[in-house]
Amino acid sequence: MKKRNKKFNKRSQNPLNKLSLFQKTDLRFSKKCPLSIKDGPEIDYKNLKLLKRYVTENNKILSSRITSVSSGKQKKLTNEIKKAKILGLL
Amino acid sequence: MSFYEQTIVTKQDLSAPEVEKVESKYADIISGASGKVVKIEKWGLLNFARKIKNYNRGHYIHIKFEGNGKTLEEINKKIKIDNSILRNLIIKYKKLNLEMEYFNKEKTEDEKAK
Repeated sequence: MKKRNKKFNKRSQNPLNKLSLFQKTDLRFSKKCPLSIKDGPEIDYKNLKLLKRYVTENNKILSSRITSVSSGKQKKLTNEIKKAKILGLL
Repeated sequence: MSFYEQTIVTKQDLSAPEVEKVESKYADIISGASGKVVKIEKWGLLNFARKIKNYNRGHYIHIKFEGNGKTLEEINKKIKIDNSILRNLIIKYKKLNLEMEYFNKEKTEDEKAK
């Protein structure tokens, strides 16, 4: 089933390939990681302003699916958030 | 020799000279055990996110130093006995960032004004 779906997606990416006007075009937004920019912010347990953006009200760590952080940076983020929690900063 | 950053959280009810004593005590321990203090930052009295051992606030002392395994052993020994310390965190770094001070209010406000 998965293979078939992939094929279908590829075909429907081009709007001219649509079978009818009412067929849905599947637009996918691919967001880029906000932390991997050149000269981006430093991920550190002292940088509370940055860490607070990636934490819920109850100080739970937000998943990278929601924040679109790359997997490498997400690993670093979780480690730094845990360090800040040890010191009672978060 | 490698670089380390140590953050000490002390109890709220210490007076100002007592906090300085704690600071100088650990600086002496580091320099005594084949280490070298690079920089000391005072973050002052900060609120905790949640209560730690029934305290709501604590004095934060941040020490950046150079040392080896022996210095860490010595520090950990002394901290275990120390009653005035609530939390302690030592982290190894390849390179120390001496310019950025996240908890220096005057400096951060100056950067905003610029």
